[in-house]
Amino acid sequence: MTAAAYTSNRSSGLRDFIPRLPAGVWSLSGFSLLWFGGIVLPLLAIIVVSFLQGRGLKINFDPTILQYKRFFSYGGGEMLARSVRIAGTVTMIELLLAFPFALWLAKGCKNNTVRLLTFTALTVPFFLSPAARVIVWRSVFGINGVVNQILLGVGIVDEPVLWLIFSEFSVHFGFIGAFFPTMVWPIFLSVSLIDNDFLEASGDLGASRLRTLLHIILPLALPGIVAGFVFTFIPMLGDAVVASHMGGNNVLMLAAQVQSLIGVSNFLVAAALAAVVLAIMLAFQVLLWLALKPVGGLAGVFASLRR
Amino acid sequence: MDWAPTGTGIILGYCVLFILYFPIVMLMILSFSGEPLTGIPGDWTITWYEDVIFADIARREGEAYGSNFRIGDPLLLSIMLAFITSAACVIAVLIVGPVLPRIRWRGPFLVGFLMPLMIPGIVGGVGLFMWYRLVIHVKMGVWSLVLAHFVWAFPFALLAMLVVASRFDTRLMEAAEDLGAKPWQRFWQIEIPILKPGIYAAGFFGFLLSFNELPFSIFMRAGQDTLPLYLWIQSGAHNTTVPLIYAMSTLVTVASVGLTFLAIRLAFGGQNANK
Repeated sequence: MTAAAYTSNRSSGLRDFIPRLPAGVWSLSGFSLLWFGGIVLPLLAIIVVSFLQGRGLKINFDPTILQYKRFFSYGGGEMLARSVRIAGTVTMIELLLAFPFALWLAKGCKNNTVRLLTFTALTVPFFLSPAARVIVWRSVFGINGVVNQILLGVGIVDEPVLWLIFSEFSVHFGFIGAFFPTMVWPIFLSVSLIDNDFLEASGDLGASRLRTLLHIILPLALPGIVAGFVFTFIPMLGDAVVASHMGGNNVLMLAAQVQSLIGVSNFLVAAALAAVVLAIMLAFQVLLWLALKPVGGLAGVFASLRR
Repeated sequence: MDWAPTGTGIILGYCVLFILYFPIVMLMILSFSGEPLTGIPGDWTITWYEDVIFADIARREGEAYGSNFRIGDPLLLSIMLAFITSAACVIAVLIVGPVLPRIRWRGPFLVGFLMPLMIPGIVGGVGLFMWYRLVIHVKMGVWSLVLAHFVWAFPFALLAMLVVASRFDTRLMEAAEDLGAKPWQRFWQIEIPILKPGIYAAGFFGFLLSFNELPFSIFMRAGQDTLPLYLWIQSGAHNTTVPLIYAMSTLVTVASVGLTFLAIRLAFGGQNANK
């Protein structure tokens, strides 16, 4: 279907000089211009800014890699590696937890009430205040928190356990709960779209459960897995709340680093940091593109919904 | 299906959901407890809720009050931003949604529109801040918060709309045209009713995503605090206001859950389940 189908047959004097496109295409062009000029260009411009010099709000247009040198000499590399490592680990854990769950939800669960309740449970946290979701863990895991009270009371330990909060353990733990739905949803959607006939045919032809899983479900669910990876890993990498509430100063991650750089008006080093993250994300985009290519790209995913 | 996973996988999934909901439910219980910071419920009271409401009223009337928790301005700002973002998302998806699935070069558009999903919010926020503040020297203000929230919510709203718009049968529009319907009639009487679930979803995403947005807001503001920002800053400080944050977060959570249910009913209430 082409846009020309919308074109009106009537024409008046002025309209003969303007390409006869429907109103929809004009307004899309206008909005796109604003979006690309006001959002996409600024976000890409950060890469250019990161190669400039200056102090505070003044910048000189004089290319340099000084900001990158500074960033890495301040221990930025370690911070970045830690952030990517923690977000990557938790994302892999989420994938292992979410895939069987999503598969069951899409194809195994036949009870409508359970399905509806689980859907709601997976939707609601998405719209909750980020701080509200983790703030309580401090009272639970803190030195005088519930867990330590119980452990001391029962006599399992003699002194409060300190690594329960403000440690890498607590950061991982805080992330696992918060980012489960973002992994389940895309996998659930992609598995739901798999035709049941394929699965039955595979079984009828004598394939084992494992074979059906590896050769039918996994390839067809790949767009969902990649989307889940992206929707989980990327927000986790930039999360400002879990790392600061559960990790304190012991587990410094990306968001805290960006904030402290901006806080001391070190804008250009912050730009270098942002540019490095953008580069990682661009690599991700390529990965996503490659993963979605077999099904005709992102646009193809939506085309498949039209059936 | 005999190959669908059973047992461990399902139980583990619900365990994670428990880890997700435990702190939220605990927050609500503790907000009614006398000593919420110990993590142990009990000694039931509504004093924290009274403080949340009266501390700001007292401050506005110039009276002294035990707590300096002032929730009024952030709350009003967040509600205003949520309404503006919601309206902006509805208008934007109505512009983009119906046309995008039908143009040939939709790939680059889609990548551009969904770009904020590919960038951590904190980096997106700092990127926009750098451009507007450092490069073209514009002062931050409410406008920049609106922009930031729109950037965050629009990709989600667009995805919801595209799911609906991709199923849109354009032959309906041609039939309407053949039958003599004017463009605005086709828009109001065919497109809008069919796209309704997408419109509701866009408005709902816009509202709630803006209302709870944090990473972009950190940089795209000029002095004002949004509600999540205020709660986050206050909860980082180890002082007497933390119990009030429990109470306020409970109120926000209840409102968000209520809105979510309302939106699910609005979007799907009129239709029968198609499975």
